[in-house]
Amino acid sequence: MSSHRLSTGGRIDRARTIKFSFDGKALTGHPGDTLASALLANGIQLVGRSFKYHRPRGILTAGAAEPNALVTVGTGGRTEANTRATMIELHDGLTARSQNRWPSLNFDIGAVNGLLSPFLSAGFYYKTFMWPAGFWEKVYEPLIRKAAGLGKASYEADPDSYEKCWAHCDLLVIGSGPAGLAAALTAGRAGARVLLADEGFALGGTLLTDGDERLGAMLSELEALPNVQCLPRTTVIGWYDDNVFGAVERVQKHVAEPDPHKPVERLWRIIAKQAILASGAEERPLVFGGNDIPGVMMAGAVRSYLNRQAVAPGKRTVVFATNDAGYRTAADLEAAGLEVAAIIDPRARSDAAWQGKAKVLSNACIVDAAGSKALRGVTISSASGTQTMDADAIAMSGGWSPIIHLACHRGAKPAWSEAHAAFLAPERQEGLTIAGSAAGLASTEACLGDGAQKAAEALETIGFARVEPAFAAADSVPPAATPFWFAKGSKGKAFVDYQNDVNLKDLGLAVREGYGDVELAKRYTTNGMATDQGKLSNINAIGILAEARGVSPAAVGTTTFRPFYTPVSFGALTGASRGKHFQPVRRSPLHDWARKNGATFVETGLWYRAAWFPRAGETTWRESVDREVLNIRQNAGLCDVSTLGKIEIFGKDAAAFLDRVYCNGFAKLPVGKARYGIMLREDGMIYDDGTTSRFSEDHFFMTTTTALAAGVLTHLEFCAQTLWPELEVYFASSTDQWAQMAVAGPKSRAILSEIVDEDISDAAFPFMSARTVSLLGGKLEGRLFRISFSGELAYELGVPAGYGESVADAIMQAGEKHGICAYGAEALGVLRIEKGHVTHAEINGTVTPGDLGFGRMVSTTKPDFIGKVMLAREGMQAPDRPCLVGVKPLDPGSSFRTGSHILADGAAATLENDQGYVTSSCFSPHLGHTIGLALVKNGPERIGEKVMIWNGLRNEFTDGVICSPVFIDPENEKLHA
Amino acid sequence: MPDVLISRPALAGQPVFQSDKVSVEAMAEGHLLQVMGATAMQALQSLAADAGITETRVWPAGYQQWFMAGERTLTSANLEAFTRQLAPGVFVSDQSHGRVRIRVQGPCAAVLISRGTAVDLDGTSFAEGHGAMTLFGHISVHVARTGAENFQLTVLRSFAQSLYEELVELAKAL
Repeated sequence: MSSHRLSTGGRIDRARTIKFSFDGKALTGHPGDTLASALLANGIQLVGRSFKYHRPRGILTAGAAEPNALVTVGTGGRTEANTRATMIELHDGLTARSQNRWPSLNFDIGAVNGLLSPFLSAGFYYKTFMWPAGFWEKVYEPLIRKAAGLGKASYEADPDSYEKCWAHCDLLVIGSGPAGLAAALTAGRAGARVLLADEGFALGGTLLTDGDERLGAMLSELEALPNVQCLPRTTVIGWYDDNVFGAVERVQKHVAEPDPHKPVERLWRIIAKQAILASGAEERPLVFGGNDIPGVMMAGAVRSYLNRQAVAPGKRTVVFATNDAGYRTAADLEAAGLEVAAIIDPRARSDAAWQGKAKVLSNACIVDAAGSKALRGVTISSASGTQTMDADAIAMSGGWSPIIHLACHRGAKPAWSEAHAAFLAPERQEGLTIAGSAAGLASTEACLGDGAQKAAEALETIGFARVEPAFAAADSVPPAATPFWFAKGSKGKAFVDYQNDVNLKDLGLAVREGYGDVELAKRYTTNGMATDQGKLSNINAIGILAEARGVSPAAVGTTTFRPFYTPVSFGALTGASRGKHFQPVRRSPLHDWARKNGATFVETGLWYRAAWFPRAGETTWRESVDREVLNIRQNAGLCDVSTLGKIEIFGKDAAAFLDRVYCNGFAKLPVGKARYGIMLREDGMIYDDGTTSRFSEDHFFMTTTTALAAGVLTHLEFCAQTLWPELEVYFASSTDQWAQMAVAGPKSRAILSEIVDEDISDAAFPFMSARTVSLLGGKLEGRLFRISFSGELAYELGVPAGYGESVADAIMQAGEKHGICAYGAEALGVLRIEKGHVTHAEINGTVTPGDLGFGRMVSTTKPDFIGKVMLAREGMQAPDRPCLVGVKPLDPGSSFRTGSHILADGAAATLENDQGYVTSSCFSPHLGHTIGLALVKNGPERIGEKVMIWNGLRNEFTDGVICSPVFIDPENEKLHA
Repeated sequence: MPDVLISRPALAGQPVFQSDKVSVEAMAEGHLLQVMGATAMQALQSLAADAGITETRVWPAGYQQWFMAGERTLTSANLEAFTRQLAPGVFVSDQSHGRVRIRVQGPCAAVLISRGTAVDLDGTSFAEGHGAMTLFGHISVHVARTGAENFQLTVLRSFAQSLYEELVELAKAL
């Protein structure tokens, strides 16, 4: 191959050597190299195979838009596929592999697809693989997916860490080329808080390529300013509402051995008062036959490799350019002592300013390039006919497209500018101003002046007075670029979208077949899809579509630019939330108590709750749960219920507030009493339930279900702040303040009497009492509630969380002689089903109070409460609504599962015959068989009716009978014991 | 019955993280009162002193809400005296066990906290004495600045261990 390193020049550190490998071959480079430049320096121009046709591909660009040189880097869990060689900073030990080839990059069987290309045009699989229909999923699609593609992800876990962070600034500057540096300097000198982000590993943008002598001083000054933070290796990926920008910093992607304590990537959320988009412009490729042969490069990339890494693209370069950029490249090539075979310029009279050796062919274009894995020469068409020319490199430039993606992420549409032959975004949007070549400017001086002026303007809008621009404004002339969408008469494939193998003919076909709209053409041809999202191809495709349709590019328009600007790893988006820290864990204050009592834990939301407490000899969870349930019904048990939501409600209007929030009455709840309450949604369905106690005239204590603790508090705040702001009411979550223990069972009073200092007899502390009590001889104060979820004589005792474990120990100690046991959430569930108490298994969002047997609780005297109006709707009061009942198997030896359908006896097992379903079920050790709660049509009228309990998923049928949902103590004698 | 009644701190056993950039440390579970209603920080500070609650500091914690926190445990008498003095319509909820405080200090303390919160911690907009309810990652916290390089994170007790572990992991990466 002919690309090579020059003996002098560049911004590389030749004193140091970096070892890396490509496809197993050991190679070397220098600090300052990218993988792409190092490969070129080693004479390697063939770096990959194309997506569909497996065509040999080389390095096209020197930046983020690279569509061809996609490689897999790293090994094991660090394997990263589809990485742009142009963006990888060379480092010791870097391992890179080519993709989408077999058995080797040089000899790829898949290249046979190129021979089949007449059958593989755009949309071929819509037309081709239609018969037999069953083959599509099993044969065709797997084969197509195997034949086409890019790199493969690793199945191993990523060993590295990632993190996220937030940042704030007065001015975010995106891009560190001339406009960006000038903006940052202007703002920095004015004392503004500045963030300067650039995706490259070195700041400077095109100034690095130009060798501009001012760059060093500008960077030094910025680094010395304490109010300026420079973020190299940081790609701004999206612009979001409230002027928040997303950015990904490659923190350790360029080091041989990442520090295990530091992230490899960091996701920034930047809240900027103002932002300057100085992202520059992308050079457009030219569309001619064979424009993808290794050796064909963008003219700007050739110049970048030449000046930054002292890498020559070849020995004999042809420059093919529609604008002056090609001449700059030709000049730099000649200055480096390299031969420029010719400058091919489709324009007339374009060589006026050219002083170099190379001849200029005006009114000419390259129609075809010759070669396969390397460029051999070109065929040039001009007014005088066609000629061929030997060349091992082409530097092409089809004009410049301002990089405006970020400016369009919030809905702005690019507009075609005839003067610039490019799409431009609105230059000034609220919070974001486009500067420099991203705004269509061409010269360095114009960009410097524009960046400085616009930074000053932006700062003045946020209150900075008289900001002095760091550079003076300079006249700007749009780059004289005549659109040249494609070369006519090409014989070879002329690629528009390199990454997706979309060629000129594909776009023509799309138009002919009715897919000429830019969005349809994208889907039909895949132009502009995949990792590069058409950074190089979109504008050419629009121009070609416009020409085929006979309209201006303005009429075609662009597809929609959405975040992210470049691909973002899942690791960066996940940050530190992985493994153990995937989500926060909530620990009850009785967690350690449960653990030392042998609990098996279960995740419920973020909480870890004790599920059951196995004892020696118990081999299944059922054995433990059955034992716990029976012991509670016979003796007593202690259960951690700290996870239930708890809300303190204060204010002189607290009672009136609760009266409006609950469907039943609370205004007259006496101090020292608790009441079960049902909250409805506006639509009349039940939202949540729980008990609320009154500790004083203006202080209530509400409990909610564990799942809806946060939701209910939010609901209450919403009601107080927006529905009834006239009410004086305040809320404080106290879920975490209290360790809450349910002590249930006939011996619970005897046990708690040893803990609670006051008299808790039924006379002194009857059912639904709620009071602050003294504990353990005055050592502590707690809150005692005479409430029961189990149906037994029961209490709930709340103590300040830190004392939870001590008090639980004390209760267990006091209860030892009474046979107390610890019990978990499973036993709690069995106890409540036996008693017919509901949870959110029954409160499923579609039930009214009447459906659950609480119809009489709903106040008919209150003037209003949330849900009142909608609850009165006809359908909400329909007599055949599914209502709560119990179900049990006819044969106690048989069983059924939660979720099973209820069918009328003898009815066919179809969903049309569905009469309701089992909402909860368990084995009742008390009754010795399975029991369930169910929502069944006309349920309460059907007590005693034989039904079929049908589990369609498992094809299980159980003869059952509808019964009362209260399986134990229907007279509530235990509660009031 | 047990003679010794122990209050176990939520972060008992969590070692102090210390580096030249930042330290992360659980604070003593003294007192933390949530005050709600139409009052003001200065008034609360003064009432606290009158009630014998010394070494406490008042932080804004939302509209008409304040946290009063310190490392000394309050007696019932303290709390009653304080509550008695509050104007009608001002209420207090004892959250001394419900919320746990974590001290983060050092030259990179603000950087560490900015890993998780969207609050602008720059000294010009978040000076000493400022506090804000916010999120640290997925966890709700109250962030307060106690000095130039000193911060206090107040978190619900059940989340304290998760937050502490996350802070230490992020601190190691600084």
